[in-house]
Amino acid sequence: MARSLKIRAHEIDGQVIVKSVINHPMETGKRKVKKTGKKIPSHFIKEVIVSRNRRIVMEAFWGKSISRNPFLSFQIPGRKGDTITISWLDNRGNTDTANAKVR
Amino acid sequence: MKRRTLLKASLQLGVTGMLFPGIAISAYPTKAFLAKQIPDALREAYGTTDIGESGKIEIEAPHIASDANMVPVRIKSGFENTESISLVVTGNESPFTAYFKLYEAQSFVSTRIRMASTSDLLVIVKADGVLHTNKRPVRVGRNGCGES
Repeated sequence: MARSLKIRAHEIDGQVIVKSVINHPMETGKRKVKKTGKKIPSHFIKEVIVSRNRRIVMEAFWGKSISRNPFLSFQIPGRKGDTITISWLDNRGNTDTANAKVR
Repeated sequence: MKRRTLLKASLQLGVTGMLFPGIAISAYPTKAFLAKQIPDALREAYGTTDIGESGKIEIEAPHIASDANMVPVRIKSGFENTESISLVVTGNESPFTAYFKLYEAQSFVSTRIRMASTSDLLVIVKADGVLHTNKRPVRVGRNGCGES
């Protein structure tokens, strides 16, 4: 678990700045294999859920126009020691979750 | 059922265990993401296309995108009680790109997107139940060198 997610969170003046990167191909379904001309089926993250201390603070719904290995950054109220949890779900039902402590 | 898998996964880690009651997890707006026309997408997502422009929404993005597959976008809403932020890339085949639902006092999100061609980024912010929009043009170079 959690090999696909990198989360960094730090606090400045009561605001927690979270930066995260998810390792994911984010295939649009339009790209083709050059040799065979076959389309690569779509494979992308549809939903990301972020919580702070076990309470959901943000839900993100994504389409195919999000870049490969998506980067997500946001700011929420909070303080040092809080736990930030990020979970994602893609269109094939794969999912992953990771935690990070606010520094 | 897929949704259930995610919930289960997060339950195991106790994520949703202490959800507060007022918050219901919302559904993926599939129709908005599938829409090919911007008005259709907005109608599916918000039920209206009549949205007032506002300079209080700041959109930070490069004037000229050096890599069309990784255009950084930073969105800052100047409104208090921002409930949701969504991003529409007008030049893409499926323009509706991202929808962020915010449950605490938040006003900033940032991500990286793909852009098919030179076009406008359209941001829609819902604050206190009122919709606001703003846009910003981004030029996309043909071979990623900035010419167009």
